[in-house]
Amino acid sequence: MTSIGEQERLTALHRLRLLDTPPEERFDRIVRMAQLIFGVPMVSVQLIDESRAFHKAVVGMSRNDLPRGKTFCSRTIQTPAALVIPDLSADENFGSHPFVVGPPHLRFYAGQPLAAPGGQRVGSLCILDTVPRELAAREVSILRDLADWVEQELASDADLVHAREIQRRLMPNRAPEIPGYDVAGRCLPARDLGGDFFDWQLRGDQFHIVVADVMGKGIGAALIAAAVRSVVRGASRFNNLQESLSRTAATMEDDLNGTSTFVTMFTSRLDPETGDLEYIDAGHGLALIITDEGQIRQLASDGLPLGAVVGDRWEPSYDRLDPGETLIVVSDGILDYFPDPKTAAKAAAELSQYSRDAWEMVDQIATLGSAYPPADDITAVVVRRAGA
Amino acid sequence: MELEKTIVGNAAILSCSGRLNMVAAPKLRAMVDQTVADGHARIVVDLTDTSFVDSSGLGALIGGLKVTRQAGGDLRIAGAPEQVTTVLQLTNLDRVLKSHSTPADATRDW
Repeated sequence: MTSIGEQERLTALHRLRLLDTPPEERFDRIVRMAQLIFGVPMVSVQLIDESRAFHKAVVGMSRNDLPRGKTFCSRTIQTPAALVIPDLSADENFGSHPFVVGPPHLRFYAGQPLAAPGGQRVGSLCILDTVPRELAAREVSILRDLADWVEQELASDADLVHAREIQRRLMPNRAPEIPGYDVAGRCLPARDLGGDFFDWQLRGDQFHIVVADVMGKGIGAALIAAAVRSVVRGASRFNNLQESLSRTAATMEDDLNGTSTFVTMFTSRLDPETGDLEYIDAGHGLALIITDEGQIRQLASDGLPLGAVVGDRWEPSYDRLDPGETLIVVSDGILDYFPDPKTAAKAAAELSQYSRDAWEMVDQIATLGSAYPPADDITAVVVRRAGA
Repeated sequence: MELEKTIVGNAAILSCSGRLNMVAAPKLRAMVDQTVADGHARIVVDLTDTSFVDSSGLGALIGGLKVTRQAGGDLRIAGAPEQVTTVLQLTNLDRVLKSHSTPADATRDW
């Protein structure tokens, strides 16, 4: 049975998204420094999960997980103050611990709890030695200082988690209800933040769909993506498709030039009544329609990405989404999983044949990147028109 | 990444060896800008010995293309790895950023 306090602690720990992540220099340098300052052979930053201790950083000892009951730090996190045990062999709790009576024959332990941004004690910074020793008050305060530093690193990650949530909220979280249509979209950033986005709006009798990919990944690309999304959103409210793209490109021109960035974009307007589709593919190249027999119709055009050429113009193209057909627009992140765009298109056609609905399709596409963190951002939007 | 500049006739050949990524892209951009400022607006970026080009590298090439064109010249690439030409085709950028097999090929009509 897990208590409420423990549940809250575990939630805070998991929110840090640091469990089972590889070593990082920003933590490694702190344990190396602690090793030098205290003159001890072993230092670790441990995070205490439900039933195990995960080592985010170690020096002089194994990185392998330990059962929670076997680690001294699980006791350290019970109180806010540092836990100092000058001689483990004389300690009533740990005197018969296998690491004390057997190798590596530990004698000294000092651990300072590490708090998540919300104050929950999620782990500890601990120093270990094979000979008994004392820790002077001055040294306890140095350990506290180093632990503060580790906590700052934990929190800086939490900041990114918050930013990720905001980016997620800048994308539609619900599909519009359009009779006879089934709509779904998902975006999976490669890092905390990504340069892909999708957007849709139902304006009057037109359904606007945008999928865009800002060159690059991470925070830089995400900043540009947020700007492009706002400009496109504003422009498409008051202009036709061609005009709204030209105005977006003109508005963003200085910013894209200044940052040596370009943006590929598929932007389109669907008339749900007739299925008529007006679209512009600005160097995106990854939009297709699958017929109900599984035939592929590539929505190709020769438009350049935004930011590639100063003062560029784009011409709209036209198609129709007939009953039983499916429009799929993805970002180039999915190409990492296929030898070429053609094979990816075939896979999309198959997916469309056996999927029950649009959500199943975008979820399937998203699972491509979920086995391990995707190398590039992955985005997919699917619009299905019910059969006649 | 190593960058080397050779002037051949009225063209500047910038040879990149190694990885053209987030770290190297600004260096290439700076060299293109400097080359244009020195009066050479016709530039070939030789990618024969480039092992990898990421999206920042691509951004540097497109940025360089704009600078050379504004100065009345052009930027072309030579010996691009297949990964680069595939991305250029997908994004239609092959329309403006012409890819040639060798620097000599790229400068033929200059």
